[in-house]
Amino acid sequence: MATKRWAMGLVLFSTVLASSGQILIKSGLNAIEGSILQWIVIAKNPLAAVFPIIMGYLLYAGAAAFLIYSLRHGELSILYPIYAMNFVWVAILSPSIFPDHDFMNATKWAGVMAIVLGVALLGLGSGEEANG
Amino acid sequence: MAEWWAVCAVLLAGFMGSFGSLQFKKAADSIEGGLRQIATNKALITGLFIYGGSTVAYVIGLRGGELSVLFPLVSTGYIWTALLSIRFLGERMNRLKWAGIGAIIIGVALIGAGSAQIPV
Repeated sequence: MATKRWAMGLVLFSTVLASSGQILIKSGLNAIEGSILQWIVIAKNPLAAVFPIIMGYLLYAGAAAFLIYSLRHGELSILYPIYAMNFVWVAILSPSIFPDHDFMNATKWAGVMAIVLGVALLGLGSGEEANG
Repeated sequence: MAEWWAVCAVLLAGFMGSFGSLQFKKAADSIEGGLRQIATNKALITGLFIYGGSTVAYVIGLRGGELSVLFPLVSTGYIWTALLSIRFLGERMNRLKWAGIGAIIIGVALIGAGSAQIPV
């Protein structure tokens, strides 16, 4: 079965949703002070943490739905590794959103470029006849 | 460095992740539409449980060591995915696809390694 280009695009889109979800969940968790049990009792503004976490999980579920739908129109060995673009979005976005916790450096940029290269190679490989 | 149990946990997470995705692929191919059919699809339910288990193993594993060691290990799952796709789905690999998977694993490893360094 040939992998459709738009199925690859849909996986890329689902990684944008999943990484946004991950970042929302993280920011919700950051809003929790002390242990979770303690926080539930004393929180002044519980929605500040609960809302992003719920939104984050909804985005995650949406990403999973798009990923599964895309699998119907392409090869698993192509589409599943493309999901690694998640690492790229998180690596790029996280340092600007959480400057106290995360940072960027040359090694990480090299990793970002290697993953993008890998996805491009998968894209090229999907068009090529299998040669064993 | 990483604890031995953390290494086992992330390797297991990588394997379970690729096995879960195999179930998702089977579900995607078998569903013909209709919410009831989606909600009762065995492969989908199995996939969700395996994938959920993979996430739990991943989160537990990451507590037991540095990302620079554990990230490359979890991304070995992409090799499993390729092997499972050949064995159970009849998919075929070629040099470009293997090179793509190799580059992705190196990329994930580099991001893990970079996380252990100082900011620039």
